[in-house]
Amino acid sequence: MISVKKVNNSPLNLLERIYLWEIARGLAVTIRHFFVNLFRPGNIVTVPYPERVIPLPGNARLRTRHRLKVRADGSPKCVACFLCQTACPAYCIHIEAAEYPENNVEKYPAVFDIDLSRCVVCGMCVEACPEDAIAMDTGEIPGGALERKEMLMTKETLLRNLPGEPSLLGASNRLANEFLKARGEE
Amino acid sequence: MTGFFEANRDLLFFTGAAAVKVLVFLGGIMGFTALMTLAERKVSALMQDRIGPNRAAVFGFAFNGLFQPLADAIKMTLKEDFVPARAEKLLFALAPFFALVPVLALFAVIPFGDYVMVFGYRADLQIADLPLALFFVLALSGLAIYGVFLGGWASKNNFALLGAMRGAAQMVSYEVVLGLTLVGLMMIYGSASLQDMVRAQGKLLAGFIPAWGVVCQPFAFILFLVAAVAENKRTPFDLVEGESEIIGYFMEYSSMRFAAFMFAEFVEIVLIAMLTATLFFGGWQVPYLYEAGFLLPGGAQLPLNHYLVAVLQVGAFTVKTVFFCWFLLVVRWTLPRFRFDQLMGLCWKALLPLALLNILVTGAVLLALGKL
Repeated sequence: MISVKKVNNSPLNLLERIYLWEIARGLAVTIRHFFVNLFRPGNIVTVPYPERVIPLPGNARLRTRHRLKVRADGSPKCVACFLCQTACPAYCIHIEAAEYPENNVEKYPAVFDIDLSRCVVCGMCVEACPEDAIAMDTGEIPGGALERKEMLMTKETLLRNLPGEPSLLGASNRLANEFLKARGEE
Repeated sequence: MTGFFEANRDLLFFTGAAAVKVLVFLGGIMGFTALMTLAERKVSALMQDRIGPNRAAVFGFAFNGLFQPLADAIKMTLKEDFVPARAEKLLFALAPFFALVPVLALFAVIPFGDYVMVFGYRADLQIADLPLALFFVLALSGLAIYGVFLGGWASKNNFALLGAMRGAAQMVSYEVVLGLTLVGLMMIYGSASLQDMVRAQGKLLAGFIPAWGVVCQPFAFILFLVAAVAENKRTPFDLVEGESEIIGYFMEYSSMRFAAFMFAEFVEIVLIAMLTATLFFGGWQVPYLYEAGFLLPGGAQLPLNHYLVAVLQVGAFTVKTVFFCWFLLVVRWTLPRFRFDQLMGLCWKALLPLALLNILVTGAVLLALGKL
């Protein structure tokens, strides 16, 4: 539906052309804002960010701080396939793969670092992941830091589950479930 | 040795008092200007429903951004001091001084109080009481154009040169209006000394209205304010600089050289605020306050100590200055920018004829009142 807004382009009257009265009206608006905000700072919409966080509206399109999902046995869901590292346009992911000694089917990341100071929060890593192991659904915004090392997320800080997880269902958990079953029978 | 002191007591007292006045007044101006750079951002933030800078902290104490000017100074000092390879090195280095020094020198003629008696000596609360102070003001503010033009020309950058051309054209044009608005005041007060003008503004019109410049010359006040903001090169007349897109004459400047231009602009705000207060709002005059104390039009009296009167007068001048500084900031953050043809049209087609008309009317009224 196209709507048409008619702009009133009538020529300025004398009072408007003298300009001073219009300046006074404009100043009245800004000065009112100045004093209202000076004496009632509650009206200010800006929030001192890291100290005060406004809860984000939860929806699927929100991309927030990364996490690596964890299986029921505590092992990372990530199989160190390097697809996220390859997909990353900012080169902020660093992975070093290792193998399970008791399970020759899959690998796991011995090192998984995300440098948030380089991350552009594009979500390509989440798109690329075949195991649905990396997610950006924590609802935390990668905020400011005073030192670079505070912006580096390692495997220890990345590995966590949200409340209600982990689920033992789903194709991506099949190998782990078999592994768990085999270990339980021993 | 004691003989030397005895023989030259007057001279020594004069020199000492002048040194103290320069140090205290100029130091106060510099400190206040540093705070103005913070106030600029705080005032604009409050006007736009924001908070403004509040993070710069010393040992964890931020005081809502009070240390921001300090942080800015440190940052500016640590930036690379860049000089273009083909620049005129000497003029490039001189231009920031041409911008800053004339503005600072102008504070010498601003009276910030009447006088105080110290050890039986009379110390005027003004660094230099020039009999032709108004012409001194116009001459030195004309010199500030050199800073703009040298900066643009010595950079050997076409865009900087264009910015300098815009700046010089604008400042020369508004200089004329600025000068002509002051003629009316000189006609009324019969003096070009700022201290004389302020003393004259202590009189009463019709028995109860203070004879402030804004009462005698309301028209000149508006013209002066417009021309002064244009001289200051700030919005709505900031197309010399146009910081969001066209940059201007200090394009090639970085580090403290750029900071000098920036600082000169802020010092100029304080200067314009002080000049407006001095010329049109009675300077250090408090209504109905005389040397002996308050004397209200009804006849009520309140005798005050000499030092208390001096403190009240300096305080009144400070309050007026702070108010006009604030007002100039509010104007800068309210109005959009003029186009260049509008700027020139406003000056030559509107302000200049009005300023001339103002002189004519003032002269006619003075002639009718028989004071000419």
